[in-house]
Amino acid sequence: MAAPRPAERPRHTLLILAAAALTLLTLQFRGVEPLDAFQQGVRDILSPVRSVVERVTDPVRTVWGGIFDYGDLRGENERLQTELARMRGETLTAEADDELLERLLGEVDIAYTDLETVVVRILGTPPGNFTTHIVEIDKGSDDGLAEGQPVVTGAGLVGRLEQVDRARSIVRLATHPDFRVGVRLVGSQDEGLARGTGDEDVLVLDAGIRADALVSVGEVVTTSGGRSLFPADIPVGRVSDPDDDTEFRRTIVVELAAGLENLSFLNVVIGAPGLGEGR
Amino acid sequence: MILLSATLAQATVCSEFRIGGVGVELMLLVTILAGIHGGPERGALVAFWAGLLYDSVTTAPLGLHALVFPSIAMAVSSLERRMLRNTLVTDALAVAAAVATGSAAVVAVGEIFGQASFDPGTLGERILVSALFTTAVAAPVNRVVAWAAAAGLPVTIELRRDQS
Repeated sequence: MAAPRPAERPRHTLLILAAAALTLLTLQFRGVEPLDAFQQGVRDILSPVRSVVERVTDPVRTVWGGIFDYGDLRGENERLQTELARMRGETLTAEADDELLERLLGEVDIAYTDLETVVVRILGTPPGNFTTHIVEIDKGSDDGLAEGQPVVTGAGLVGRLEQVDRARSIVRLATHPDFRVGVRLVGSQDEGLARGTGDEDVLVLDAGIRADALVSVGEVVTTSGGRSLFPADIPVGRVSDPDDDTEFRRTIVVELAAGLENLSFLNVVIGAPGLGEGR
Repeated sequence: MILLSATLAQATVCSEFRIGGVGVELMLLVTILAGIHGGPERGALVAFWAGLLYDSVTTAPLGLHALVFPSIAMAVSSLERRMLRNTLVTDALAVAAAVATGSAAVVAVGEIFGQASFDPGTLGERILVSALFTTAVAAPVNRVVAWAAAAGLPVTIELRRDQS
């Protein structure tokens, strides 16, 4: 005699699973520690394996990149040639700009290059296909990194640490739509809140700035410090569109000083007061 | 074991080898194949754990993929049972469509939960590449998942002695 097959109740199962997933999501957004620890633990366990696989597959990856990213490489080559030509023409003005920046930073009396930093290497994009404006780096909490710490290059602000595991971390780039940074216009000393837009190499400053503030094209923008997560006076970029004909809400476009494409090494600022104490 | 191996492969090999910045959605593929071979209920359960493991290795909040994947597994299972004739081409198209749907659903749910870090300008292209790339590696994964589903089937027929 055949025993009755247990009746499948896929809809009930689906509802229970959806409820479980929603509960997890809710707990995660409420910042329940064990869930973060679980995710971090899984990533920490996988990290050494990933490092081994990266080393083993490196030659194959190079060939793979040559085949499937050939168009990108050619475009990159053309872009670099154009950039080189532009740089040759701008050498003299760049020197003048450097002097101007030094003078402007000197006015606020803090040299951001004196901040204590850790040099990190970019490993690439983390697993997953649909999250952009983040990169993975090769150092983590074992090297003194903590969530929220600013990430810079010699040219200026790049982003901040979003997720820190023991041996790897995730950097949220300044162009990420959820990126926010308190900034100061060095010329006018006006302060406001700039945010990423998802566009390459551009921030938008649309909060905290008076509609009648005098802002000029090319004005240097730095971090404002204060209650911000970022220490003061890290160069952010220059104003490319002051939006000075608006009557209501001003939207100033800031071109980032640090190009975010084709980065290899970054500096994580660890030696500034108030850093690494959570968001 | 299969889920853990798939998670490992997703976090390593699938992240290393990308086309235009897009890699194979292995966990989603396992989810779809679990729906096909395991039926709606088992498929949904496998999909839930696959989603949780995937959430653990990405920057997504825990529960995002686990919320989407079971529905995909169940939908695929239902549709698969209604298909009159299966050929290699229809199977490949079905997997590609399921991967594209699953990816789009993850992005949409992520948007609802404030994970709007994708680039809208390239989203369609990324979904398409992801679907094609994932379908290209579906055959070997299909064998493994089919084997696992067959090996793990519950015993549904029991012979009982007449006690009288």
